[in-house]
Amino acid sequence: MKYVGRSVPGMTNRVLVSGQGTFTADINLPGMCAIKILRSPYAHARIVAVDTSKAEAEAGVVTVLTGAEIASNTNTMALSADPAFYGGKGVKCYALPSKYVRYVGEPVAAIVAEDRYTAERARELVEITYEELPAITDPVEAMKPGSPVVEASWPDNVMMHKEFVCGDVERALQNAEGRVSGTAKAQRYAASPIEPRAYAANYDPYQDLLTVWSATQNPHPLRVLIAETLGVPENNIKVVQPHVGGGFGLKVPPFPEEIIVAYLARKLERPVKYVEERTEHFLAAGHAREEILQFEAGYTRDGRVTALSVKIIADVGAPTALVGWAMSYVSAYSVPAAYKIPNCRVELFTMVTNKCPWNGYRAFGKEAASFLMDRVMDRIADATGLDRVEVRLRNFVQPEEFPYSQVSGAMLDSGDYPRALRRVADLIDVEAFRKEQAEARRQGRYLGLGYGFELTPEGCSLPNSTLLSGYDGATVRVAPSGQVTILTGVTSPGSGNETGIAQIVADRLGVSLDDIKVIQGDTERCPYGLGNYSSRSLMIGGSAARIAADQIREKMFKVAAKALEVSAEDLAAEDNRIFLKGAPTRGIAFKDVASLVYRHSYGKEALDVEPGLEATRYYRIENVYHQPEVQGRFSAYPTWPYAACAAVVEVDPETGLVKVLRFAAVHDAGPIINPLMADANLHGGIVQGLGGALYENMVYDEAGQLKTATFMDYTLPTAAEAPPMILDHQETPSPFTLLGAKGVGESGVTGPLGAIPAAVEDALPHLKLALMETPLTPDRVWRAMQAAQATS
Amino acid sequence: MKAPVKVTVNKKAYSVEVDTRMILADMLRDELRLTGTHIGCGTGSCGACTVMLNGRTVKSCCILAADADGQEITTIEGLSTGAQHLHPIQEAFVENQGLQCGYCTPGMVLSTLQLLTQNPSPSEDEIRHGIAGNLCRCTGYQFIVKSIQEAAKSLQGKPAAPVANRG
Amino acid sequence: MISQEFEFHAPKQLSEALNLLQRYGDDAKVLAGGMSLVPLMTLGLLQPKIVVSFNHIRELDYVNEDKNMLRIGAMTRHSTIKTHQLIARHCPLLAEAASYVGDVQVRHRGTIGGSVAHADPAADYPPVMLVVGAQVKLQSAKGERVVKMTAFLKGLMQTDLQPGELLTEIQIPKLPEGSGSSYQRLHRVEGNFAIVNAAAVIEKGFKSARLGLGGVGETAILVDIGKRLTKGVNDEALRGVSDDAYAASHDAYGDLNGDAEYRKAMARVYAQRVVKAAASKIG
Repeated sequence: MKYVGRSVPGMTNRVLVSGQGTFTADINLPGMCAIKILRSPYAHARIVAVDTSKAEAEAGVVTVLTGAEIASNTNTMALSADPAFYGGKGVKCYALPSKYVRYVGEPVAAIVAEDRYTAERARELVEITYEELPAITDPVEAMKPGSPVVEASWPDNVMMHKEFVCGDVERALQNAEGRVSGTAKAQRYAASPIEPRAYAANYDPYQDLLTVWSATQNPHPLRVLIAETLGVPENNIKVVQPHVGGGFGLKVPPFPEEIIVAYLARKLERPVKYVEERTEHFLAAGHAREEILQFEAGYTRDGRVTALSVKIIADVGAPTALVGWAMSYVSAYSVPAAYKIPNCRVELFTMVTNKCPWNGYRAFGKEAASFLMDRVMDRIADATGLDRVEVRLRNFVQPEEFPYSQVSGAMLDSGDYPRALRRVADLIDVEAFRKEQAEARRQGRYLGLGYGFELTPEGCSLPNSTLLSGYDGATVRVAPSGQVTILTGVTSPGSGNETGIAQIVADRLGVSLDDIKVIQGDTERCPYGLGNYSSRSLMIGGSAARIAADQIREKMFKVAAKALEVSAEDLAAEDNRIFLKGAPTRGIAFKDVASLVYRHSYGKEALDVEPGLEATRYYRIENVYHQPEVQGRFSAYPTWPYAACAAVVEVDPETGLVKVLRFAAVHDAGPIINPLMADANLHGGIVQGLGGALYENMVYDEAGQLKTATFMDYTLPTAAEAPPMILDHQETPSPFTLLGAKGVGESGVTGPLGAIPAAVEDALPHLKLALMETPLTPDRVWRAMQAAQATS
Repeated sequence: MKAPVKVTVNKKAYSVEVDTRMILADMLRDELRLTGTHIGCGTGSCGACTVMLNGRTVKSCCILAADADGQEITTIEGLSTGAQHLHPIQEAFVENQGLQCGYCTPGMVLSTLQLLTQNPSPSEDEIRHGIAGNLCRCTGYQFIVKSIQEAAKSLQGKPAAPVANRG
Repeated sequence: MISQEFEFHAPKQLSEALNLLQRYGDDAKVLAGGMSLVPLMTLGLLQPKIVVSFNHIRELDYVNEDKNMLRIGAMTRHSTIKTHQLIARHCPLLAEAASYVGDVQVRHRGTIGGSVAHADPAADYPPVMLVVGAQVKLQSAKGERVVKMTAFLKGLMQTDLQPGELLTEIQIPKLPEGSGSSYQRLHRVEGNFAIVNAAAVIEKGFKSARLGLGGVGETAILVDIGKRLTKGVNDEALRGVSDDAYAASHDAYGDLNGDAEYRKAMARVYAQRVVKAAASKIG
């Protein structure tokens, strides 16, 4: 039995379906105190005075932590990736501020009490005097000279200004046979995993060991960041990732609350726990994606884009130690996505405002580039009369053109975009749909079909980053009885890579999956690794595990060869046996080989090999270039999965309500290790994408107050909104990487952003709508329809 | 202020004293150490806290623990006695990958139990509306729907027994 | 989590509960299903000192009928209203409204009394109760009174409930034989509040017709559309209904789900939809 390529249900399913998982909020230790965080009520203010005396006097209150104490006892927060290194501006900020607050919800104090009711009550007694300052909530206003600044140490609100250029855009635009321009807008999002953040910590003063349990995707980097921030040696910190209820890129460090919890445990020498409420999550856990994308495109009569000029204004919220700002860079970096445009300029303004800082969210900025290109292509299709599939086919990077160096230097590895797009048109059955559409129209119903094409590079690797790099480690260990344990530096916040990694190792060692245990998320047991993000866990973590497994396999084959008196290269392993390829009945049980190594170390079979059956190996993914002066390019993403998507919607022309009837995607992430898991991830990604296209929006008012702090206002799709989804795969391996696999985790999230507006436009062709802004809530669609009807 | 609460949870009797401010979800999790019931939003939207109260699913974050006095509750822990002894609905979720991170899953499974108890052969539409009170961010619901369809088949159109008294 | 301390009472008899409300007046909040109250307390938006739960008072959970009227106890859960035979027979409109409230779990716990007393401007029951001419019974330790729904709804989240008073029964006149009715609503996602909703009842022979609208004013609004339908439901009639709905929505508010202009436009749309649907069900 071989496992790679098989649909195996997740190894953690039984534990989790029984409710027997341990999430961070489930951790209870004797004497554990509860932490509540006091958060800024203002978007921008100076902290004038802090008085904690009344709170501290409450019975049951253990301590109240403020910015003053943090500043005296800790370093400024270590960053996951410093914008300053990439030509932008960074900040030094403490886990709790003493001078300024810069967004509503920013942590200002931490109240620790014997129980959480006391902590919450005492929180109301902390008196902070603020001097309110003007709030900057509009990134365009923030760009104007003379605008108040968000970050006192900066001269302006521009965190980063970057440009990627190739060719001569001005001339090409002038000479273009046709031109189209406009503005696409993406709203502000909250990743909204169903598990809010939770952190617990305990300190043993005798062992001098701080243990931190964090709902994090990245335990090892978190340990480094805690060590640097608290000034504590790494050896004295252990980070454990319990079960995590969804990450989606949001749960990447360092959060101020993580530092606060770690600090308090050490100070109090008692276990502490902080569990955030959903409103706090909406206020402070990290937002994403709010961008304005202004474009002008020039094209030939037959729809070939010869010039593209894009200006991206990203509203990344207040600058902190979080890494979410990098998504704006990635948006610019990813333009023009899957298309070949000889003259292209992308200008990026990463603007800070008095809103919640960005933290990671699935697609990490890549969604903006593909969304923009989808809308540009559709506008050009409208202008030229070309079919929307055809216009894309004419502009795609073609299969024979890989590896393809994009405008930003990004190195696209491999793919067949035209085939995927044609295939999805088949999958959604466009011909049958057109008949269905016409019939529906006769009944007074409006159905539409739209396409979206997403290019979603994976494996993000940036220089000078504690968090974002393209390597990872794994240990494979065979026990004397033949049981296998894998310990990985990558983690799984629910996406199932532990199962895929076990499948890879099972095949290399020839053991059954039942004999494999995977341990993740423990800095003391697992080899150093960077955790989970950018779909790296299987392709990078799995590669490291494969290399480690191969090292064990080589040793065991040597021993088996001696035992069978054959040559090692004539051996194979499968079904718990190592046997002769040409004569499979001649073999030896896998566990017997393990036994020889462990129990007969001096015997004839094992004497030539080093004792033990344990290998820790690292894998660094190829197709990443961080030395442009030497290598001639800078490429941050090794692999380039993509998906062609198609959506069928029904639009209620009287109300603007859009219902997604069905959704198809043809996806290419190279060889798929576990089709069931890949499909499962895609389904989730697609519905998140639909959430963005239709339902989700984080809204602030002009004073920087958040208007959408519950699920009643930030509406996620329910099972009733989610459509049936049809998936198909093509597998174009990466020629550069060990597994050829490209990573599935962020796919599906972007295609809907282009497909849904296109489908609504297709449903109402007489109105010639151009829907360039998400989400397409009913009132917005209605308004667009009213405007179109007024001008027609 | 305190209030006494006597409840039967998964057929076991408990007697505790709770702060009146405590919600049922927290009582189950912290007082009774049944942490399978999860809190996702605390305001009755996401359904992660779904339990059965006197045989009907409710959101336990919207019920005061003190108000549960004298009632019968079923939590996710009541549906299995071991990893190889799962309720048929749970088996269906496992085999059909109806979960990923597992955080919404206990609530989702209980809502499935409720649905199949009242409607042993639901249509896809009835399934989707039946679980609309349970938000999932990982699965896109597709494999959840499939798991429920398979569970309905494996229960063979017979009403799903709420809790087997697995001792 | 709830931070303000409070006293909790769970009386088993209505009389005991009324005495508690009398004693504590404005300091006490009635806890019915809790699907509104508990989240508001969790969010810190309401901080009552006394909470009186009605969940242990069986005598308020009932659906009865007399000759002309359905009498529904205030603690009747939405799920009961959705499926009860008497309601299906005599006021299916109410069951339709109940089927939209929240989701399965919310309907198992939430109550019609709690919902009506909460008086959200876009709640599902009020437009229905207005068009059927419903009344509510209000009881206190000092006595009881019956108030028409039109007089009961006073303003944004405000009703005519006086301190010490409790809504104990909803009285729904049985719809005349052969009446057609419909309830419909616009919402962004399943389980969310309506953006705009509408209810219509048309008597057989178009003897009378009434329209109820929600989400377009501080309270649900009742519109008599009888004179519009004297010749039946034709295009002119529907235009008239649409204009009436628009005019009635002059105080429509705006929020994240839609501004006033959108709501008023939706009032037109839904008014016509429920009138058409109601007319088609005339027996």
